[in-house]
Amino acid sequence: MAVEVHPAAPVRAPGPPRGRRHRWRGSETLAAWLFLLPSFAGFVVFTVVPVLGAGTISLLNWNLFSSPTWAGLHNFARLGPDPTFWSALGNTAYFTFVSVPLTLLVSLGLALLLNQGLRHVALFRSLLLLPYATITVAVAFVWIWLYIPHDGLVNAVLGLVGLHGPSWLISDEWAMPALIVMSVWKSFGFGMVIFLAGLQAIPQQLYEAARVDGTSPWQSFRNVTLPLLSPSVFFVVVTSVIGSFQVFDQALVMTNGGPGSRTTTLVMYIYQTGFENYDQGYAAAQSLVLFAFIAVITGLQFLLQRRLVHYDI
Amino acid sequence: MSSPFSRRSFLTAAAVAGAAAAAGSALSGCSSGPPAGTATWSMWSDSPQEQQVWTDFGAYVRREMRVRSLSTLTPASGYPTKLDLQLVSGTASLVTALNGWLIPTYAARGAHRPLDDLIAADPDFDTGDFYPDSRSISSFAGRTYAVGFDVAPTVLYYNRTLLEKNGIAPPSPTEPMSWDTFRGLARELSGPEGQYGFTCAPAIDDLVSWIYSAGGNVMNRAADRSILGDAEAMEAIDFVTGLFVKDRVTPPIANLVTENALANFLQGNVAFMQNGPWQVVNVRKASFDWDIVPFPAGPAGSKPRVSGSSFAIPAGVGDDQLGLAWRLLKTLTSTGALNIYARAGRNNPARLSASTAFAPPPANLGIVRRILDRRAGKLAGGHPFDVTTNWNQVRQLLGQDLPRAFLGQVGAKEAVAGLTPRLNVLMRQNQDAVRQASAKS
Repeated sequence: MAVEVHPAAPVRAPGPPRGRRHRWRGSETLAAWLFLLPSFAGFVVFTVVPVLGAGTISLLNWNLFSSPTWAGLHNFARLGPDPTFWSALGNTAYFTFVSVPLTLLVSLGLALLLNQGLRHVALFRSLLLLPYATITVAVAFVWIWLYIPHDGLVNAVLGLVGLHGPSWLISDEWAMPALIVMSVWKSFGFGMVIFLAGLQAIPQQLYEAARVDGTSPWQSFRNVTLPLLSPSVFFVVVTSVIGSFQVFDQALVMTNGGPGSRTTTLVMYIYQTGFENYDQGYAAAQSLVLFAFIAVITGLQFLLQRRLVHYDI
Repeated sequence: MSSPFSRRSFLTAAAVAGAAAAAGSALSGCSSGPPAGTATWSMWSDSPQEQQVWTDFGAYVRREMRVRSLSTLTPASGYPTKLDLQLVSGTASLVTALNGWLIPTYAARGAHRPLDDLIAADPDFDTGDFYPDSRSISSFAGRTYAVGFDVAPTVLYYNRTLLEKNGIAPPSPTEPMSWDTFRGLARELSGPEGQYGFTCAPAIDDLVSWIYSAGGNVMNRAADRSILGDAEAMEAIDFVTGLFVKDRVTPPIANLVTENALANFLQGNVAFMQNGPWQVVNVRKASFDWDIVPFPAGPAGSKPRVSGSSFAIPAGVGDDQLGLAWRLLKTLTSTGALNIYARAGRNNPARLSASTAFAPPPANLGIVRRILDRRAGKLAGGHPFDVTTNWNQVRQLLGQDLPRAFLGQVGAKEAVAGLTPRLNVLMRQNQDAVRQASAKS
């Protein structure tokens, strides 16, 4: 194919003849696709196919062992009058909207502290990251022990300051807060590392300029740190909200959804429906609704991002 | 000048090789499996001692059947999930172990095949050698879906050392205590700081023995309606929750997940524990003297829950493999195999001809056989664990709401009243499942 060259076209840097360039591009593209292939195949097999599969299964009555029968939208219609589903959704929302801001505050506070040029920062950073790196089930068992009403460490510490701690994991009022505290402790390390990286990427000249302008530390934090850290905050909020909506293992291990159904989360209910009650169609319908909730909330966060997140320094 | 094997061509070749390797490994993963004629069976196993028993079973199968034995052992907590996946994917073993309370669940869904035709065609197989309760537990809708390997009633363990320390004579080894006597003893032994009269899990699985002994049940005979709110069952629920909430003779409940009667009892400060004889192997590690006695007798006598486990054949086993599967199942539940099981002290074997191998200590272990034997007169009173095709859901529901009565957060009557409508829905679903399963067969 002939290449039309306009007189005003920019002067090209010297290079190999064009035909050869195309050949190189072709082989590079092929190599790129081949390298991408394993990841892409994994994405298709383990993400796209299951999502499409869930969509199909949600339209079926299927108990796993015998042949499925067509259910249409019946499984979605079952969601409305199912009190356990709404209670689980409410519990999950409660967990998310309390645990995410708390995790954010703790993570940011610790990141700011570690960013003050402390000695042995690497050591502190590693220690604080340990809870995040530890398996949730193991952490949950430790926290069960900490929460023992009579001689558990939490109530023992509260007793030192004259407070009588509740029976955390069997109390109607305190079971969910107990889970939230454990979850914040488990996950703050992730946010802390992201925030620390974000803080260290902020140019020091901006703080120096602010100091020259006579700003207080709070004004400096509010007008320099927070805006420039907003991409990190956005990332942590989005991933934390998604993770919190999928909370499962700590609730399963620490309370098994009780007392009553006070700590039954949506993913726990989906698991019970699909793999303990053998009601795959209904479980798939619940999964798709959860997916929709997460998609809507994440979409809203991306809309807010335009106003609140600053990518330019 | 570019070399014949440039960086770019190397990278391209590497990518091609990687993709080919990934595809190859995926394909090879699909083609693995034991050679034809292998006797494959699956079982749960949580300790080296248990593993040794199943290894001995494997050796027994090889010796008796003269085929290769391949067992898949999985921790008990993950066993049902793994079995589900294997059944769905068609990779299940020829014979799979099942906990008795799951048999209706699997049978109603067509996951396992009925065995009546195989039993009828095999004159060597003597069903009469199995305890009636084991046969009952292994059946669903009038058909046999499994053959038992162990069966046992709930009994009452007692800490002989603790009783002696408090000047209390051991309970009768053959005559069940009345509930009043039991409650009085539990109160008397709960006096000192950190000492308790009784422990059990705040769950339906432990509660049903009291309900049966009161003449009640979770559901009616037709299993289409909950009768947990009837006077008989309520008497039992009031009695047991009263031990926790009013009498306070039980160790305090710290959480609802790891609450463990055995762990409480092994502390040495609890006088009585209800549990199955399958815990004998663990209680033998106790640092105090102990023994077992019959379950306390309520208004309907001593009617503890009788549980058991069995071997079954998945529905997906083809006709070409069925003969091998049946021979394997017969071998795994034969007197010789169950003698291995019993000698390890695991539990009471499901066959009468193997029972004597389950030997003391404790001294009164023979009581288990006397309770199971319907000819034993007054003592024979076990009640097969009545379950539904959706017992998982029933357990979940009861497991979430009943413990609140054990904690004193709600009264027993209020808890049961709140549960009953939802239980009735599950019972109706159970009836639908039974009808559908019966229509198919």
